[in-house]
Amino acid sequence: MWRKITLFGLALIVALGAFVQVQSFQDTLQGSIPAIEGNSIGTWDEVLELARGGEVNWWMWGGSDSINQFVNTFYGGPLAEEFGVSFNQVQLADTVDAINQVLSESEAGVNSGGAVDLIWINGENFKTLKQADLLYGPWAEGIPNSRFVDWSNPALNRDFGLPVEGFESPWSGAQFQFVYDTARTAEEDLPRSFADLEAFAAANPGTFTYIAPGPGAFQGTRFVKQVLFEISGGQEQWVGDFNQELWDQWSPELWARLNALEANLFREGSTYPADVNELNQLFSNGEIDFTLTQAIAGASPGIASGDLPETAKAFVWSNNMIGDFNYVAIPFNAANKASALVLSNLILRPDRQALQVIPENGFGLGFAINTNLVDPADRAVLELAVNDLGSGAADPDELGASLVSDIVAEYQTLIEQGWEQNVLQN
Amino acid sequence: MFWERFRIPLMLAPTLFVIIALFMGGLIYGLLQSLGWQPIIDNYDINLDAYANVMFSERYANEFWQGLALTLWVSLASTFFTSAIAIIGALLLRESFFGKKVASFLFQLNLPIPPIVIGIGMLFLFSQSGLISRIGGSLDLIERSRDFPILVKDHLGIGIIMAYVWKEVPFIGVIVLAVLQSLGADFEDVARSLGANRWQRFRHVILPLVMPGVMSGSIIVFAFTFGSFEVPALLGVSFPRVLPVMAVRFFRNPDLNSRVEGTAVAMIVALIALLLVLAYMWVSRRAVRQE
Repeated sequence: MWRKITLFGLALIVALGAFVQVQSFQDTLQGSIPAIEGNSIGTWDEVLELARGGEVNWWMWGGSDSINQFVNTFYGGPLAEEFGVSFNQVQLADTVDAINQVLSESEAGVNSGGAVDLIWINGENFKTLKQADLLYGPWAEGIPNSRFVDWSNPALNRDFGLPVEGFESPWSGAQFQFVYDTARTAEEDLPRSFADLEAFAAANPGTFTYIAPGPGAFQGTRFVKQVLFEISGGQEQWVGDFNQELWDQWSPELWARLNALEANLFREGSTYPADVNELNQLFSNGEIDFTLTQAIAGASPGIASGDLPETAKAFVWSNNMIGDFNYVAIPFNAANKASALVLSNLILRPDRQALQVIPENGFGLGFAINTNLVDPADRAVLELAVNDLGSGAADPDELGASLVSDIVAEYQTLIEQGWEQNVLQN
Repeated sequence: MFWERFRIPLMLAPTLFVIIALFMGGLIYGLLQSLGWQPIIDNYDINLDAYANVMFSERYANEFWQGLALTLWVSLASTFFTSAIAIIGALLLRESFFGKKVASFLFQLNLPIPPIVIGIGMLFLFSQSGLISRIGGSLDLIERSRDFPILVKDHLGIGIIMAYVWKEVPFIGVIVLAVLQSLGADFEDVARSLGANRWQRFRHVILPLVMPGVMSGSIIVFAFTFGSFEVPALLGVSFPRVLPVMAVRFFRNPDLNSRVEGTAVAMIVALIALLLVLAYMWVSRRAVRQE
């Protein structure tokens, strides 16, 4: 009953917030935006004018029905009503398919009118397109709502260590968390560090596994990084430029510890799950005790979509849980750049940011904006949203206490190669 | 005269053009890319580095050679079991018995089913928390899902082989059935009248007659299983992986440089498959001729 009232109140505030937003803000550019098909951009209204009556094709990973529904409801609706832009989500099995589309178009000489207007993107794929100079930009620090983004935050202005430089705009924040089943495992038995996990696996052989680190399986890589942080005595020393000496000092012990763990892993580590879906399946079938999530609402979105049991709940180690941001980027040859800019700007609007963290809406990732940069009137909506993350969410204080940032991309490759050679093939 | 002589080549030209332009075009482009030619990142050097890298470098050699061994094992075993089961099945279906029509229908049913559907079916049935394991659990045959034998995602590729056999038996079976039906019973009647027993009739009469059909069918099965990606991707272990899966993993790596290695592995798969098919055709022609 109270929950319903809260939700209703929240919806009301959000609606009001949106109304006030539309009415009061004279959206202005925060910086320069490159010309679109020969039209130089002086004001945000020019972008809105170029976008009106057109469409936007957002290519994004479509493996989650609840996320698909979220974007169509909460972005598709306002885009059509407020901006006269028709929204078309292109669902992908893997983001790299969008990258391949842009690459193929570029190879075929399609330099304008490309099929991809906007991509939901993260580190490795962003690096690919930036490396090949196939992105439109820099624009991300120019759109009106970028004023809510804390661009001085090193976890945000670098994506897996690669400087963003305005070529992508943040959508949401995420943090690595484990998920357990409160019906099967008692809270006091939960491992709160890698050392704890080793003991847990030894006491319950065959009930733990992790995703095989590798391209496209960043959660597995991230797990190994977190182990590395712990055994080397902390994450701080890994921040900053790549340090070969430090890597050489600690990598042998990393492989030794992971190899020692193998004997107690699911199927003795003879095979590893390839992605989070496979891990979730093993968890829901009762074959393993823990899965993982990146959602700020923990297991709640998974419970809402039926992928995880009602009794699932997120938990974290007491330290070294990596958090980062994910982004949207516009290809160099996008047919509807103005519409893509309008959508990227809408994504950062405080009312949309509030909606995305509420588990029932199906997305469940965290804010990309810094609530302190938002006007007090809009801040209430954001604060209300974080107070209702559902039964599957981890303790927010524990989340905050364990948060560390990711490290430069060089380590990523070393971990993926090294793990294959020293752990998988060993 | 001119028209007469060139009529057939001209009529074939559109088809041949499509085959050459699309298939050969892709192959040549792949070959170029495997040699390091990548205009997208301003790479125009032509060399064999990628081939040397995947086959002999410390980083990939182990993965490559174990992958090759697994690929050969999986495709040869699949081809052998498929052929054997298809011949036995076709011989049984030739007899007249109650429910023959239903049995024949079921025998050919999965011919049009895509391999990926069969792969997922295998996963649902034979994984440790799959349907059969759950039935076993409810009948108290096994205590926990972990006690169920590992039949998919196993190191010997048993799951992959089962999926291929399941998928391809009707393919060769239909060929054998067609041959058997066109033969009729005359040859066997003659052999029986000359005193040949059941085994002798099979070994010396039936088998030599169906063998050319089985051989050409099994070449197709072999080439298909050797280059196929989706079933091993679903049912294989993390290591070793079959070569097509290894190639796709290279290709999907966000680092553009690793596409060169990916196409190199794909080219090696194509080359080995081609050589083995040629060798197989040569051996099987000789074997059939000698019979």
